[in-house]
Amino acid sequence: MSAMPIVLPSNRDENWKYANLRALARARFEPAPAPAAAQVKEIAAMLPAALPGYARLVLVDGQHVAALSTAAAGISITQEVDADEKPGADQPGADQLFANLNRRFRQGTCRIAVPANAQLALEVICVATASSHPALEISLGHGAKLQLIERQLSARSDQATLVNLHLAARVGEHAEFELARIGQHGAKAQALDTLELQLGAGAAMKCVQIIEGALASRSTAFIEHVGRDASLEWHVAALGEGIQQHDAFVHVTHAAPGARTLQCFRGIATGRSRVAFNGHMRIEVAAVGTQTDQSLKSLLAGSEAEANVRPQLEIYTDAVKASHGATVGKLDADMLFYLLSRGIPPATAESLLKWAFVSDVLAKLPSSDLRSQVAAALERQLPGAATRTLS
Amino acid sequence: MLVIKDLHAKVGDRKVLDGLNLEVPAGEVHAIMGPNGSGKSTLAYTLAGRPGYEVTAGSVSYQGRDLLSLAPEARAQVGLFLGFQYPVEIPGVNNVYLLKAALNAARKHRGEAEVDAFEFLTLVREKMKVMQMDETFLSRGVNEGFSGGEKKRNEILQMLVLEPSLAVLDETDSGLDIDALKVVAHGVNTLRSPNRAIVLVTHYQRLLDHIQPGRVHVLARGRIIRSGGPELARELEARGYDWVLNEAA
Repeated sequence: MSAMPIVLPSNRDENWKYANLRALARARFEPAPAPAAAQVKEIAAMLPAALPGYARLVLVDGQHVAALSTAAAGISITQEVDADEKPGADQPGADQLFANLNRRFRQGTCRIAVPANAQLALEVICVATASSHPALEISLGHGAKLQLIERQLSARSDQATLVNLHLAARVGEHAEFELARIGQHGAKAQALDTLELQLGAGAAMKCVQIIEGALASRSTAFIEHVGRDASLEWHVAALGEGIQQHDAFVHVTHAAPGARTLQCFRGIATGRSRVAFNGHMRIEVAAVGTQTDQSLKSLLAGSEAEANVRPQLEIYTDAVKASHGATVGKLDADMLFYLLSRGIPPATAESLLKWAFVSDVLAKLPSSDLRSQVAAALERQLPGAATRTLS
Repeated sequence: MLVIKDLHAKVGDRKVLDGLNLEVPAGEVHAIMGPNGSGKSTLAYTLAGRPGYEVTAGSVSYQGRDLLSLAPEARAQVGLFLGFQYPVEIPGVNNVYLLKAALNAARKHRGEAEVDAFEFLTLVREKMKVMQMDETFLSRGVNEGFSGGEKKRNEILQMLVLEPSLAVLDETDSGLDIDALKVVAHGVNTLRSPNRAIVLVTHYQRLLDHIQPGRVHVLARGRIIRSGGPELARELEARGYDWVLNEAA
């Protein structure tokens, strides 16, 4: 199976125009073996502090490590190796190539089922030591509530790891799914993920994604409003530095009436880095009364930095409200001078303004402990971040 | 405290200050008045070191040091405070965080330790009381959604917390109703002391009814064309600027 050729997208594909695919051509996709006991011990020491109220599930190179995980009462969390997975199950199209590779190489699927009207707060930590293909399948029953923190970490900051995650979720009728995605990879890491989400009638989903670290990252999400009156909020903050390239593509299909979607992107590119966000909204004939709003903003904080934000609307029905705004700019000179005039050193003032730029996304993270952990992780890029509060 | 000699400055290609001379000793309050476009705000920004305001000739000595050689943040750290005519809104940066960061920057410059959290809050609460500001302003973004009057109160609050040696207040009275003007003026007056100087840039006598200056200067065409006591402001209020411009011509 693994001898099959690795087919990658090309930058000529419109949705992959800004992804860093060069390094991937040399990457090794074959997954790492199961972690040894000594390695598990090392990883246990580097895990972030447990978040109060959250059960924890730890995957090392895509494989569930029970010794590092905690149980969640009454909730089904299983990891299975699917006997019927076949290479022939590949989905067509460039946007599915990494999902196909995940299906080919995954070493089991972690299934999280939250029954009707049940509640679960869960943190899933994917630790990478080499190449891995974590797979999560999530289902929320009618009226269920799931708060999921999905965090990606590199075991060592200097390792050229590759993570290719696949997350599929069905959010049942009137269920609520709050997803926080934290990418904290090492400097040489490559991070890929494909999300496929379906929202049932009256379902509510909020995703807050923080992208920092990693040499190159590409996040691909397909969300579909399947049932009527579902709502979706998708907030992304991406911070690029050095020669990092962070690219996100979020495609939302509105296939039922009364859908609501809010997309918010805040990207900061410093040094020679590149941040990109492509937000594609498709409103189908049946999606009467849909309301969408896109606010995509990027900040260029380096003379060779690059930012690309693309709001795209594809509308096939009347009676919809669809607004969008996209800006790419530099640090506001008036704000900067105001801070300097108060005696604040330039580096601190710039850091404060960058923090302010992404703070409305950071403030949406679900727990204050998580916000503190993320702020501490941003300390290198935004000096003083750990001491700031979010208003 | 402040000695400005033959100051020339331009903004872009436009010459705005044209040989300005001014001396403000410690312990004094000076008012600078003048018609629109005369260079009042340019003077304030030039003293604070705003980028784009280029000094082409002259000197500014502040407490015996060359102010123009200092970066904007260094000018603030040595005790210069600019009260903005149009305070900038900075969403996402807490008011209280800005106050603390600014105070600590000044303390660091003086070789002092960072302010203790309890001591800081006590200080800020005391100053907020002077400015009749609600504590909810502390957790809001800097000037974010503030009314014109609230922004000006916030400027003076920052000044009271930082306790500068030299305050240059650019049209602090603009946009204030009578009650807010009194509060702002009271805040400024609490800062008056023998070792501080205050420069008030204003269009109107009404501010000077509440903050009485020792000297009043008329700035026109980029230079001080007349100086006098508080009676000069009253005369300007009554007669306008034409007579003084004509006399200077």
